[in-house]
Amino acid sequence: MSGTGPRINIFPTRMALTTMKTKLKGAQTGHSLLKRKSEALTKRFRTIVQKIEEAKQKMGKVMQVASFSLAEVTYIAGDISYQVQESVKSAQFRVRTKQENVSGVMLPTFESYLEGGNAFELTGLGRGGQQVQKCKETYIKAVETLVELASLQTAFVILDEVIKVTNRRVNAIEHVIIPRIENTIKYIISELDEQDREEFFRLKKVQGKKKKDQQAAEKERQLKDAQDGTQNYDPQPADLLERNEDTDVIF
Amino acid sequence: MEALFFNINDGYLEGIVRGYKSAILNSTHYLNLTQCETLDDLKLQLSATDYGNFLANEPSPISTATINEKATQKLVDEFKYVRANAVEPLAKFLDYLTYAYMIDNVILLITGTLHERDTHELLERCHPLGVFDTMPALCVATNVAELYDTVLVDSPLAPYFKNCLSANDLDELNIEIIRNTLYKAYLEDFYRYCKRIGDATGQMMSEILEFEADRRAINITINSFGTELSRDDRAKLFPSLGKLYPDGHAKLARADEIEHVKNVVEVWVEYRPFFDNSLTSFGGAATSEAKTLDDRFFEHEVHLNKLTFQQHFHYAIFYAFLKLKEQEIRNIVWIAECISQGQKERINNYIPIF
Amino acid sequence: MAQLSSYKDRNFIAVIGDEDSVTGLLLAGIGHVNGPKKNFLVVDSKTPLSKIENTFIEFTKKNDIAIILINQHIANDIRPLLDDHDQAFPTVLEIPSKDHPYDPEKDSVLKRVQRLFGE
Repeated sequence: MSGTGPRINIFPTRMALTTMKTKLKGAQTGHSLLKRKSEALTKRFRTIVQKIEEAKQKMGKVMQVASFSLAEVTYIAGDISYQVQESVKSAQFRVRTKQENVSGVMLPTFESYLEGGNAFELTGLGRGGQQVQKCKETYIKAVETLVELASLQTAFVILDEVIKVTNRRVNAIEHVIIPRIENTIKYIISELDEQDREEFFRLKKVQGKKKKDQQAAEKERQLKDAQDGTQNYDPQPADLLERNEDTDVIF
Repeated sequence: MEALFFNINDGYLEGIVRGYKSAILNSTHYLNLTQCETLDDLKLQLSATDYGNFLANEPSPISTATINEKATQKLVDEFKYVRANAVEPLAKFLDYLTYAYMIDNVILLITGTLHERDTHELLERCHPLGVFDTMPALCVATNVAELYDTVLVDSPLAPYFKNCLSANDLDELNIEIIRNTLYKAYLEDFYRYCKRIGDATGQMMSEILEFEADRRAINITINSFGTELSRDDRAKLFPSLGKLYPDGHAKLARADEIEHVKNVVEVWVEYRPFFDNSLTSFGGAATSEAKTLDDRFFEHEVHLNKLTFQQHFHYAIFYAFLKLKEQEIRNIVWIAECISQGQKERINNYIPIF
Repeated sequence: MAQLSSYKDRNFIAVIGDEDSVTGLLLAGIGHVNGPKKNFLVVDSKTPLSKIENTFIEFTKKNDIAIILINQHIANDIRPLLDDHDQAFPTVLEIPSKDHPYDPEKDSVLKRVQRLFGE
């Protein structure tokens, strides 16, 4: 039997062959499409990775500036940490999620927005209020950078996942599905060939058998003919087909 | 108080404080400190000063918070020693000094109680100078009304609370407004007390307290721009003393922007330079050169405090010592922050004392 | 995408960090208090590890948090938890703290980056 390796369990018919061929075509198209998708995603992925690395460096700096501005506040207004922690009520700085479509993958991006009033506008009223507000601004900027980075990172995680899935699919199609279909096709073809040959052989056999039978019958008849050739004037009606070259009958 | 009798009760302590004062870091020390590359260097430099081995037992990666804590602890120890040896009326005077910290502590506790925090944890955060006997009792109080009835009325701050706040206010008012109301009451009371002592003490303290009051008034005005604090409320927070009172206060209460404040304050010669070029650095990013208004206030405060050491036989040096030492701690912490965060270019923004 | 609906409700940024980092971030206005529940945790030397871990897990399970900010030196303490967290939401972001400058070597995400490209 031809087509080593796994194949689809299918009845080898011409019908199935056609189906398989369509399937193969489909798989190949799918493969090339997925491959392209994976390439597009990888490209995107690489840019994101690059951006992440940049952003992480930037974050280091931004956070440093921010924490330094907090140090300034501490210098002027004293320790405000507890006060700040306790006056927290509702988040002013929030994020909302938007989605971006990259080659059919929904990548969320965070977008920051401010909601509600400033909970700390009176902090440091007697001393250092200006510094507090300035520090707040600095931190808002820092958090914006962080949010940006978070979007990138989420995109990174999701893309990573999607790329893995896509690559898995590409590989599956390339190394499992396509070979299997090809094997099946080979199998069907070989089976069909085999069937053909068998059929041919069978026909031949049938023909040979028929011939033998005929010959045997002929012989028997001739023998019979010879036996009772005298008895019968016309032992047999002339075979019109067999003996064409009858002498012309002259009337 | 006549110089004749001063030394009977307070001569020893004055000597002690003058001794402490001479231990305050001078510009050479600061120069050395600013040259440090790491906090360990800083520690080494500090050990050569009066701070001695105050960081000796700290594990090596010391944080600026630890430095702050230890330095404050040292100050507190010194102050407590002075307080323990003081007799009336100096004792009362020193108590007054601690009231300012008490206000902060009480505010902290009120905030904590409002949010039903673990009050034991809060006690640890309180400034050691502002601890008063009944403070641990605050842990018992579970709501604000209880807090007001049982604890605050017994604390030294009770009169300030009684005069300006009811239990209801504690629930409703912004905590910052409470803080500033209390502080206003405290300043006024302290001012009256100093006036009563009279003599050099009264004269010098009123100078300092007036400046403090003016500074608060100006700060509150500037800081309340663009907030929900109404002008009337703002005016209520101004301590009713100081050079700006009452004329300047009325004008400050109406001010809407920094220019107005500048115009108002310019009438007073002492405060004019504060606004000279500090305006440009305001709001924008302060460069390493530009001095902010706060810096100038600090500088002036240091100057006033230093003046008190020029005279003998008065109590103002106790106040001055406390404030100068506080400023010194701030300076050290600032330098430490600059070192640990790699912002050496701003390291010279401290306020030199001597 | 099954998560799709859950994107919308994620509005908040949670933070686990030392006193200064938390203060600064709260100052920026990210803090949200809902009854006894806060979206921030101040970690000092006395905070037990289990508390950090529990808080982190709690934050990851809450469905209104979009981003978790965590100081890197704290993240190092609960590194296995961070490495295990492979969900896209909430995003875990390691941030530097005042006393601990940022070290890209230790970042869970950057480590993944390096694993993908470095080898």
